Amino acid sequence: MHPAKIATWLSALCFAIGLWQLGGSAWLLFKAEVAQYLISDSWQHQLASGQTQKPWPWADTWPVAQLKLGEEKPLTVLHGTSGQALAFGPGLLTGSGEPGNLDEPRTTVIAAHKDTHFRNLGALTKGTVIQLQDRHGRWHFYRIRGAKVVNSETDRLPVADVPGLLLVTCYPFDAVSARGPLRYLVYADYVDVASTVQL
Amino acid sequence: MNRPFFHPPRIQRDLLILPSDEYYRRRYRKNRGGSWLLLIVTAAAVLFAAIGVRAQSLEAADAAQFETVSMDESGSGDLLFSSGEPGRYIPAIHLGTEVDIRVRGLVAEVVLAQQFRNTSNEWQEAVYVLPLPENAAVNGMEIVVGERRIVGKVREREEARKVYKKAREEGKRAALLEQQRPNLFTSRVANIAPGEEVSVEVRYLQTLRFDSGQFSLRLPTTLTPRYMPGAPAASTQSVALNAHGWSLPTNEVPDAEQISPVMMPLAEIASHQVGDQDSHQMKIRVDLGMGLPLADIHSPYHEVNFRREENHHYRVGLKHGAAPMDRDFALFWRPQTSSMPSAALFAEQSAMPAEPGAQYLQLLLLPPQESLAARKLPREVVYVVDTSGSMGGNSIRQAKESLLLALSRLTQMDRFNIIEFNSNHRSFFPRPTAATSDNIQRARSWVESLQATGGTEMAPALKEALSQQLDHQAGTLVRQVVFITDGSVGNERALFELIRQRLGETRLFTVGIGSAPNSFFMTKAAQYGRGSFVQIGDLAEVQAKMGALFEKLESPLVTDLQVQWPQGVKVESYPKRLPDLYRGEPIRLVARTDGNALGSSASGEVVISGRLAGKRFSRSLSLSAIAVDDSGKGIGSLWAREKIAALRDEQRERGPLSDPEALDPLRENILGLALGYQLASPYTSFVAVEETPVRPQSESLKSSPVPNAVARGQVMQSFTYPSTATGVYGQMLFAAILLTLGGLLRLLQRTPQVVASLFTRWRLVRKGVAHVERSLRRWLRTVIPDMRRRNACINNGYRSGVSR
Repeated sequence: MHPAKIATWLSALCFAIGLWQLGGSAWLLFKAEVAQYLISDSWQHQLASGQTQKPWPWADTWPVAQLKLGEEKPLTVLHGTSGQALAFGPGLLTGSGEPGNLDEPRTTVIAAHKDTHFRNLGALTKGTVIQLQDRHGRWHFYRIRGAKVVNSETDRLPVADVPGLLLVTCYPFDAVSARGPLRYLVYADYVDVASTVQL
Repeated sequence: MNRPFFHPPRIQRDLLILPSDEYYRRRYRKNRGGSWLLLIVTAAAVLFAAIGVRAQSLEAADAAQFETVSMDESGSGDLLFSSGEPGRYIPAIHLGTEVDIRVRGLVAEVVLAQQFRNTSNEWQEAVYVLPLPENAAVNGMEIVVGERRIVGKVREREEARKVYKKAREEGKRAALLEQQRPNLFTSRVANIAPGEEVSVEVRYLQTLRFDSGQFSLRLPTTLTPRYMPGAPAASTQSVALNAHGWSLPTNEVPDAEQISPVMMPLAEIASHQVGDQDSHQMKIRVDLGMGLPLADIHSPYHEVNFRREENHHYRVGLKHGAAPMDRDFALFWRPQTSSMPSAALFAEQSAMPAEPGAQYLQLLLLPPQESLAARKLPREVVYVVDTSGSMGGNSIRQAKESLLLALSRLTQMDRFNIIEFNSNHRSFFPRPTAATSDNIQRARSWVESLQATGGTEMAPALKEALSQQLDHQAGTLVRQVVFITDGSVGNERALFELIRQRLGETRLFTVGIGSAPNSFFMTKAAQYGRGSFVQIGDLAEVQAKMGALFEKLESPLVTDLQVQWPQGVKVESYPKRLPDLYRGEPIRLVARTDGNALGSSASGEVVISGRLAGKRFSRSLSLSAIAVDDSGKGIGSLWAREKIAALRDEQRERGPLSDPEALDPLRENILGLALGYQLASPYTSFVAVEETPVRPQSESLKSSPVPNAVARGQVMQSFTYPSTATGVYGQMLFAAILLTLGGLLRLLQRTPQVVASLFTRWRLVRKGVAHVERSLRRWLRTVIPDMRRRNACINNGYRSGVSR
């Protein structure tokens, strides 16, 4: 084959794969963004009806809380931290504390992808107020105590029997690979509960 | 004459080379392509730059934050983040292990000595999760410091904890050995001085396994991290000791923190050296003295060498001296065919003064063999395969390989189904389906696509497997469930109960996978499932081990086994009801008799009868000729251990008492037995305490976990930390690189054209620039007065004025 022809094909291949990859990553970001609207909708329904409602019929997860980091727009938290759940929103780690369950206090652990929902986690500073809405519609307030980087291969998840909030995402934030062992933890102390405002 | 000269020569049209349509089209397209190309490359570059800027700003943001915030400044930070500073974690304790195994008769006596060396500058308490064989009868524990030995005693569990805790606080050297599962113990050593080495010796007895003419012995060295199902619950321990487990207690596994040790990759542990010794290395010496000439001694996962001594004694050791503790040690040996025993009988006089007339008996008997050519019954098999995260790495490959092999054994008459489970379960067919070649082919490709990820929710999958076969229309089918797993769950009891209740006519076979499977689960599940089990630790073993399992699956069973003891002898033998036997399995039991009934001329015979493939058979063994060992303590301990296991089964079947405050008679029974025979049990622990305190009260004590090595071939599990990156950046970067590469390739191809076009463009640019320059100059001239001109003007004017 003529070298020029090979080059043509090769460049076409590069373009095709490149566009495909670009599309794939754009799709991931798009999914993360758009799913939040659907999920927050079903969260509102769930709050109104008191029944667990899946955002779409074939979903294997459902909303369990709503999270507001500082002044950012609220994120709806899903049940479980499987890859499927995290693609659509932050996930509540199974086995960690249920938001708003003060009878059996336990640290609430919420994880999300560093490149979608928790992309601004690193910008949170000490003292920032985080709000979490439980399934009864009550808003709970937490204040950030600090942040820390841990190695997930040697450190265990610091869950204690106090009602705190632990946000987990990957570290470093600009890492290209998705399989790094480091995790960025933000711990917030429980402050207060506010009753729902009925409109 | 001239005309033809000026006239162009006639050339035939097809010889003429003219630019074709194709030429124009391509040229046209190329030009268009060029502009597109420019657009895409620019877009990619901009995107690339944007990502870079974003990443940099984030990095800057979090770097700034780390300067201002430190969680450790707050007092209770320690409670939350137990393992200090981020980065590498270095264990404070160096662990060495030496194992001495003496095989006598059908029993292996094991002394497991573990050296805990404190390499830190603080006084330490070492906490280590010690895996032992599931049928180990632990009957001794000692602390060895230099020349001194402190002998451990069996105490009731809570009491032992209190004794240990008190000694720990007082600064005395102490050790505690607690049973968490029949095959998982917690070993604690308190008050190890900086730089000091304290050794803990654990002694146990283990019955040898005998299958298809081959004896075997297994010694676990590490464990596969267990999955803890259920919702979190408060710990129920009344005397709390720091367990260092990474898992929290759940309602289904209340002791989860006790059986979830810190796991570390072997490479990382081994880098922790004292002198030239790596941590977590094990030396093994085996003395094989069965009194039989042996034909074949081999270890599948370690390289061993052996030496023959007189009286058919064999000494086995590791070829390289020591081996890392990242996989089970297994040893197989086979008596020479000419001296293959068909029955073995060992007796022992009780060593306890309280029971002078008691004697213990251990029996092994091979039932008659049926030739393999027996008619095969059509089967209905449900394969259940574990695809949880703990199966990642080599394990899932072994599981797939086993499953594919199993599928290839099915015939047209059989029916089959496959269920895979991790956090959820999926059934390949809704119901077992005929094993047509088409169905098998589809199943094969499905199996190939399975991946190991997620939790180990075993109960729903087991339920599904056992309920799929409830249709009674297929009455002639032999129903089997083959369960392929590493058994890495913490809720074994609940699963056994499930198997027991739902089994029906089905038989459950377990295939243990991996370098460190949970043998307790494998054997017990097979016992409750009235099936058999095999363990596969290496891909190379799949063929042979699965072959042995298929022989069992396809051969007729030995059923209706009965034991008849001589008249007038009081006997208590275990197992209470002899299980059905698969091909190659021996009848085995341990019994206690009273009144010196063995070894005398009036002893009589024990008769064992059963049924094989519709034919009755019976074997009798004389009890009068056997030699009763006066000095041994082995069979008595094993008998007590078997009895405890039987009582535990009974307890499990009964379920929890309705009144939690009431005294459980079975618990009291087990406790009495364990204390009497000095055995570790769920209710008793070994505790050893030195008399004099060694640690001055001014010094503090630090408690450190001794990690277990990640089993060989397994993927390290990031404990409970979810994976929180999508790899979007990587993907975008890849996309940008590819697009740029594609663009460059096109550019290269069109270099002359591009250069030419660039050149023309350059001329244009220069023209433009010149134009701009000119107009700028003109404009400047109008704005800024030219001093020279002005001077000239003045001069001129002056002159002209003068002249005027």
